Amino acid sequence: MSDPGMEALTEPYYEALARGELIVQHCKSCDRNIMYPRHLCPFCYEADLDWVPVSGKGILHSFAVQRVGAPTGFEDDLPFALGVVKLDEGVQLLGRLWPDADGEWSGYRCDGRVVFAGVDADEARRRPVAWFKRAE
Amino acid sequence: MPGRGTGDEGVFIGIGELPSGRYPTRPFMGDLVNVAVRAVRDAGLAMTDIDTILLIPCLHSPADQADLVFSRVVEELGLHGRAKSSYMVHSGGSTSDNTIRAAAGLIASGRAKNILILQAEKWGSAPVKDMIDMLTANGIPREWEKLSGLSFNAVGALITQRYMHASGSTPEEMASVCVALREWARLNPNAMYKDKPLTVEDVLGSKMITDPLHALECPMLADGAVALVMTSESNARRLGKDAWVRVVGSGGCVSHYSIGQEPDLAVLGWEKAAVKAYEEAGWGPEDADLAEIYDSYAAVLTIGMEGLGLAPKGEAARMFAAGEFSPGGRFPVNTNGGLLSAGHTGVGGGTALLAEGVRQLLGRAEPARQVEGARRAVCGGSGGTYMDSQVLLLEGVRR
Repeated sequence: MSDPGMEALTEPYYEALARGELIVQHCKSCDRNIMYPRHLCPFCYEADLDWVPVSGKGILHSFAVQRVGAPTGFEDDLPFALGVVKLDEGVQLLGRLWPDADGEWSGYRCDGRVVFAGVDADEARRRPVAWFKRAE
Repeated sequence: MPGRGTGDEGVFIGIGELPSGRYPTRPFMGDLVNVAVRAVRDAGLAMTDIDTILLIPCLHSPADQADLVFSRVVEELGLHGRAKSSYMVHSGGSTSDNTIRAAAGLIASGRAKNILILQAEKWGSAPVKDMIDMLTANGIPREWEKLSGLSFNAVGALITQRYMHASGSTPEEMASVCVALREWARLNPNAMYKDKPLTVEDVLGSKMITDPLHALECPMLADGAVALVMTSESNARRLGKDAWVRVVGSGGCVSHYSIGQEPDLAVLGWEKAAVKAYEEAGWGPEDADLAEIYDSYAAVLTIGMEGLGLAPKGEAARMFAAGEFSPGGRFPVNTNGGLLSAGHTGVGGGTALLAEGVRQLLGRAEPARQVEGARRAVCGGSGGTYMDSQVLLLEGVRR
């Protein structure tokens, strides 16, 4: 179900992903980064919100490799891996993880360093999701 | 404590439950009225004594959910024109805890006399694929996470992976949690897997679904129904009951909505919830006789137990492997078999655990799993993507 008006939050973020960039929301009033993007700043409740680029570097808090039982529409993606990434900029998000050269994710570990590595524009438009790869 | 010990607190006096599993020919409304009658009879009341019905939602069908919301149960039970109110409380897997708080408050304030708390679910008979898709709309933000293909088993896997990393627990130790729960389920005639033994080898030999979760570590969706009856303590005395169960402590913490926003997936909100609950009860985890804690995945249970002080940090899975929480072990945990072996009845999984805690304290469990002398129980529920950690501390009273 679509939620009219949400484009103000989703489109800048999705468009950045399509350009191969990762951005996060930023509150100009209290100078804090915000994820996921919100209608009002969840710290000071002002609406003076903007977007800022981030390094894309962070720590993998946890990850999972889905092999069976994907939701409808994701069957052809199997197997795929998801991870919760804590960015160095102090915000966190769920993203996809690139497999290693062997097509598997056995090199990933909790608390390991990862870095944002976007997909091409077509794929980012099809599935606007942040992708990360191992950085160690 | 204000409002406590006045003799007018809400207490549990009756329970009803139908067997969990796959029962495609049991109609939803039929389950609700059957389990309602069981609980009201168990409480020693007449149906017409019930003035308020609190409904625990179903997730299998929006149409059945609408029937619940719009008082179909009241009419089916012949209480139309008599019932004061009938409404739903909903916070996913922690609903039962929040419902009991609502019920206790209504009774303590004199705004309700006898409350029927009612739940039924038809997950076991619903198409699995439909339920997987339905769950992606329950606690998963559609703009920020659903587009990644996140499933509920992946949510469980993210928590499990982090717990195993933080605690150093092995796959064998995690599997042993499922095995211990199966041993309890074998003693529960209402459990989905009452007739099916399980070993660590079975678990680790089953197909990998979402690393690190094997198929037999994922909860099996089930049909089920549970009802509870609460009244005031003074009314329980007046009715001449020989046993009832008090709610002596309550605490909660909503730690996130999106799984991607939880600061520590191996901690969640349990520690914060526990402080408040034990403070209110005036006793601690060392005083408990048993625990009934939400267990849709093994790590969800071990994290809950550690946060509630029932196991040292990082040790719960190893203690399961050592048999400490199994039948005959040091401390009984999830004596109905839990969601993992009694069946995952959706929102009802937490309700079934709570009902089992009440049943144990009333001394009405089947002899094989009745915890002897059980007086204090720690009950915990968690909703959505383990967004909240809700604790109720229960105490049995015998005359």
